[in-house]
Amino acid sequence: MLNALAAMGRFGAFSGAIARRMMRRPLFFGQVIEQTWHTTTRCLLPVVAVTFPFGMVMALQGLEIFRIFGAERMLASLISIATLRELSPVLASVLVAAQGGSSCAASLGAMRIKEELDATEVMAIDSIKFHVVPRVIAMTVACPLLNVAGSVAGVAGGYFTAVFIKGESGGIFMAELWSFMEPVDLYGGFVKTTLFGLMIGLISCYHGYRARGGAAGVGKAVNDTVVHSVVAFITLNYFLTSFLFGAVAP
Amino acid sequence: MMSLFAGLGRYGLWCKEFFRAVWVHGPPKGQTLHEAFRIGIQSLPILLIISAFVGTNLALQGYNAFKPLGGQRLVGMFVSLAGVRELAPIIAAAMIAAKAGTEMASQIGVMKIREQVDALEVMAVNPLAYLVAPRLIGILLMLPALTLIAIFVMLTAAYGVSVVQLGLAGHEFIQFASESIEPIDFLYGAVKAVFFGLIICTVSCYFGFHCGKGPEGVGAATNKAVVTSSVICILLNYFISELLYGGSL
Repeated sequence: MLNALAAMGRFGAFSGAIARRMMRRPLFFGQVIEQTWHTTTRCLLPVVAVTFPFGMVMALQGLEIFRIFGAERMLASLISIATLRELSPVLASVLVAAQGGSSCAASLGAMRIKEELDATEVMAIDSIKFHVVPRVIAMTVACPLLNVAGSVAGVAGGYFTAVFIKGESGGIFMAELWSFMEPVDLYGGFVKTTLFGLMIGLISCYHGYRARGGAAGVGKAVNDTVVHSVVAFITLNYFLTSFLFGAVAP
Repeated sequence: MMSLFAGLGRYGLWCKEFFRAVWVHGPPKGQTLHEAFRIGIQSLPILLIISAFVGTNLALQGYNAFKPLGGQRLVGMFVSLAGVRELAPIIAAAMIAAKAGTEMASQIGVMKIREQVDALEVMAVNPLAYLVAPRLIGILLMLPALTLIAIFVMLTAAYGVSVVQLGLAGHEFIQFASESIEPIDFLYGAVKAVFFGLIICTVSCYFGFHCGKGPEGVGAATNKAVVTSSVICILLNYFISELLYGGSL
């Protein structure tokens, strides 16, 4: 228990150090852009490969429920709302944590083990500023971008199953797609994934930066990164959903 | 693209070799329980937290989705259908892939780069039967159980949110929840979990055994293990759902 509190404190101090360095120049823009590009391109395929089948499953199960009431035309609005609000932000962030966060922890951890971070410090370059800050920014920027791709893929997966496999009408699907949609559904996912991305970036850099004990330490850092960041943002997700979509008893 | 197929082929060959090794040597007995403990009990707290919060969100979104139609009472049905059939198996599998799968990949990867795997072979112990088989049996035993626990926690959390936060009637929730699913759905969840466990264990151990050099190699292997196994599980989930629930049987 005490260990967990101490780790929280260390994490807070580390996040504070990052925040301080973000405010001050110089910001290494080349690094930022490179890391963002790297994260986005590497996560794109896994994100799409996960949200597309999930949209398909949602169409499959949703059709069965709506058939009971004879309300198959509701399917498209269920899929679009569920995808934009919950599934795509959460699944995209899980995959960003699994792919981007873990590779970030692995690379920082390897640099720590090989004393490359110390070498950076010796050359009078702030290692947090040069290595950590760009990765955190990259994760914060990449996560909402990937969420857009994930949302499109999720709805496309639903369309695919409903229209091509189950033989529903494509026109009705497209017509009903936006019928229950509100502006908050669009920017809500954006707000969520920005915060999730920030969280993943901070947690993965924290674990990578503090890795110790050779190759096994890197493995442990990667493991901790994925587990902790997923737990953190799924917990946060509940509060964000309550807050953004206003689900409180009248 | 080419390397993807090459990797698939290598994975297939590795699996063939693994199953032959298990067939010939049999798994070591003492290790299996130990691995089952590691996989099951040590992943439990995380799984509990995650599935509780997934349950709360299901209830919130179900409420939001059905409120414009005046069907708030259907929240129970929505939660039980979505939770029991799809989300609990997937969430349990994703968390085990993230926790136990990455651990397998990094442990075996470290053994590989420290040449401990070769040392086992020198001692005439088959590394596949000795290292992978207990993990596989452990995960096959534990993942269905964890899935059922996840279902229970998810429904309980959803019930709590519906009654306390959303002010719905508790007995209606329970009535709609229990009417919309059947006991067989729990069995189907466990069946899904068996397949997911098989995928997670073999994929993670495969990446551990094919780990590159040094700390980067271990990190990359761990990374690939979690991403690949969760993507394959979710892809596979569609086909299992289609078979079990899609009415094609």
